Amino acid sequence: MQPKVDKDRLLDVGYDPGIASCGRFLVLDHSIFEASHRIKGLEVLPLADAMDKYPHVRDNLVFRLIEKDRNEFTKTASNLPLVGYYIKVEPGVKIDIPFQAGFLLESAGATQVIHNIIELGEDSEAHIINGCTTSQQTHKGRHIGITETYLGRDAILGYTMIHNWASDVDVYPVGAILVGENARYISNYVAMTSVKKTVSYPVARVMAGGSARFYSIIYSKKDSYFDMGSKAILEGNSSSAEIISRVVSDSGTVISRQMISGSSPGSLGHMECSGLLLGKNGVIHSIPELKGGHPDINLSHEASVGRISKEELSYLMTRGLTDDEARSLIIRGFLDIKIKGIPDRIQQIINEVIDRSISGSM
Amino acid sequence: MELLEIKGLRASSGGREILKGIEFTLEEGRTAVIFGPNGSGKSTFLGSIVGLPKYDITKGNILFKGKDITGMSTYERTQLGIGLAFQYPPSIKGVRLRTLLDTMNPDKEAIEHACEILDMSPYLDRDVNVGFSGGERKKSEILQLMVQMPDLLLLDEPESGVDIENISLIADALKIILEKDKPIKKRKRSSIIITHTGFILDYIRADKAYVMMGGRILGYGSPSEIFEEIRTRGYKECQKCLEEAERENHAA
Repeated sequence: MQPKVDKDRLLDVGYDPGIASCGRFLVLDHSIFEASHRIKGLEVLPLADAMDKYPHVRDNLVFRLIEKDRNEFTKTASNLPLVGYYIKVEPGVKIDIPFQAGFLLESAGATQVIHNIIELGEDSEAHIINGCTTSQQTHKGRHIGITETYLGRDAILGYTMIHNWASDVDVYPVGAILVGENARYISNYVAMTSVKKTVSYPVARVMAGGSARFYSIIYSKKDSYFDMGSKAILEGNSSSAEIISRVVSDSGTVISRQMISGSSPGSLGHMECSGLLLGKNGVIHSIPELKGGHPDINLSHEASVGRISKEELSYLMTRGLTDDEARSLIIRGFLDIKIKGIPDRIQQIINEVIDRSISGSM
Repeated sequence: MELLEIKGLRASSGGREILKGIEFTLEEGRTAVIFGPNGSGKSTFLGSIVGLPKYDITKGNILFKGKDITGMSTYERTQLGIGLAFQYPPSIKGVRLRTLLDTMNPDKEAIEHACEILDMSPYLDRDVNVGFSGGERKKSEILQLMVQMPDLLLLDEPESGVDIENISLIADALKIILEKDKPIKKRKRSSIIITHTGFILDYIRADKAYVMMGGRILGYGSPSEIFEEIRTRGYKECQKCLEEAERENHAA
């Protein structure tokens, strides 16, 4: 039962019942409207039900990677009934059809508190797309989202989050990921619309041979404030991390904090933090951090904050493009991150979200 | 009919005057070549015609198809039919060549045809000029002009850094754009070519050659004769020779 008025908003964040998915989960404010799975070896339950069904979820997974008292948001979440999903993929089960989750803030002024647990068994694979948005009439509210992710040895998880909030919404996602040996975690974060404030800093602990890759695309409009980033801790030998962020400030503020820390031999980490300032009043504060604790470790970063190159702009205008068309093409190109390891459909959804936002803002 | 008429053009960049009073005309269907040493103002001349914002036109007028375009934006000038192949085109990260061509011209067949002529299909999914060799950049420039099909082509050193095989491809594409297979009177498109080496003239016939030095056009003549003069005697001697010819013209 999906309210008609909000279909478009959900579509905008990739929650599309019209396309193939291996399962779906939909929350409106605090109510779970759908929790389904269509593939053997994949199980999707409301987290509260999973706590009853599987003692290990309650005992070993909930509030294990994230402490209850980490901050005011985790404290809030720990004192409320659990609303969110538990996704479990059995060992050896590989699913390349995306799983769709939608989190809709429907009532004005509501606080939505979500707690999700993802558990991937050894040598399994899944791709999850989380779309978070408000209904058309809702401009004010708060979303707190706790996500704890456990990847078994050799598992692969593509985790895509698309945010499409409103101008007076505060958003506090808190994420932690345990990347098992030789497992791969790929995170994509896309936020292209106005928001009052988003603060998020997921942390991945990466075991031997594992890898964590964080890609984020943020377009910060006037009066929007993002304090975003990610952290990878390379705990195991030959583990690796890549963090790539593309940030556009169209008169909004973005603090982009990225960190890779490692002390295990053979570990590799690289980050690229690029910022593009469009409006006069925007701020991009890029804070790339590297911490190496072993001689046999290789960590590097590139960071830049600048404006659209006049040379590129006039070059495109000699090709018959208007100023707006040329800017839009350059911005679109700037935000184009070629993500390896995710299904084409997810890349397509990410591209559509970006295209729609850019064409709408030019 | 004159396609381009330039009267007393003065232009500066960063507060420094580069063009110091250019008089120039180009008829429809004709190709002019401009020779000149480094720093003589050749690229500024082409950039001023297409309206690159880094050049300030301080005096004079540019008439294109009878319209005064001196105060027009780059976009407006391109809409009237002016196109430029840059000497040093910038790289644009994230913008695929295919996307740029599609934005310029939605005619897929025209794009395909141009790619075939220039052997550029393998580059379509690469970012514009990113990691391109010098020769590939030049081919990409001509490819873009072939998709744009302007009435006036401004070619800034189209052959520099290009190997012989690829110069020939570039020339083939330019001949198509400039309708070199038609009798002169039936050709509609014109071009101004800047060349250092003159190699391109082995492939594309120019109608008139100009020599530019110190921001001025010193004179004009037959492309082959002027090129030979420069090659054998250098720009300084060529300057003297042109100045003498100019004096004789005035005296006559």
